Amino acid sequence: MELKIRKNGETYIIDVTGEMDLYNSYKLKELVMKMLEKKVERFIVNLQGVDYIDSSGIGALIYICSTIKKMNLKLSISNIHGSVKKVIELTKLMGYFPISATIEEALKKMGA
Amino acid sequence: MDTIKEIKANGFSPLFDKTNMLYKEFPSDFRQIRYFTLLIVQSAPPEIKELNLLEQQISEIIKNAVKHGNRSDQTKKVHVWYHFSPNEARLIVEDEGDGFKDLEKWNEFNRKRLDCLRDQNFEQLGDYVSFRTDRSDDYDGGNALFAALEYWNEGFIYNDARNGVAMKKTFPRRRHGIVIEEAGE
Repeated sequence: MELKIRKNGETYIIDVTGEMDLYNSYKLKELVMKMLEKKVERFIVNLQGVDYIDSSGIGALIYICSTIKKMNLKLSISNIHGSVKKVIELTKLMGYFPISATIEEALKKMGA
Repeated sequence: MDTIKEIKANGFSPLFDKTNMLYKEFPSDFRQIRYFTLLIVQSAPPEIKELNLLEQQISEIIKNAVKHGNRSDQTKKVHVWYHFSPNEARLIVEDEGDGFKDLEKWNEFNRKRLDCLRDQNFEQLGDYVSFRTDRSDDYDGGNALFAALEYWNEGFIYNDARNGVAMKKTFPRRRHGIVIEEAGE
């Protein structure tokens, strides 16, 4: 799994590529925590490049989502597709996660 | 089939019938869970793999057996029986641990989760998205069994010792990649 960060205005986009599984999902959690320490307030987690997610990956997204929500900051998860979307549907978390179809839609929702 | 709301334990379930199933066993090596899963899934027909969803769902069961059942003790084995056809997937996974002691707690937790979903109470749902036990750590998502109950549409059941689980999924019949609907549906 690879993680890249880019910025659009005040919004930080984390491009995730590869597989979010039991061996590496913790890295996304760690990255977001570091960004929070650096006072980042707007996040988009872009899963366009993710073709596999397991319960650990879902758990990382849950952790990130609940942490950012408690801090009253902004998060969107964008471009879920394929089996990643299916796993989120199976866990019935489509309504829980702040999901956007595209990065553009996410930016619009954040008022960016 | 009605939506399954809870996980039951019944070693006499026909899902535990191992007749005509292939068998593999693995040491409880956490680092090789995905590799072991691929060894199982490689014999599945491509039309039921659903990209990698079948692989992902099976890896969760093997991970539970390795990590939680056998506590990653490499002297303990995970026993896997499996059968795949173009229309169904069956799996039985047994570990050598002392069983899922918190099954009733899990069912109670899941009931509350489903209540929040029914009521569209996403605020309170946050308390029920991840099931934790004293064996859970920060790397556990706590959500695998929620998905498993949905995915394995013909049943997902523990044995009486709760150290074995059997499951079955049927797939719609297809001809040339097109789902065939039965008359009257």
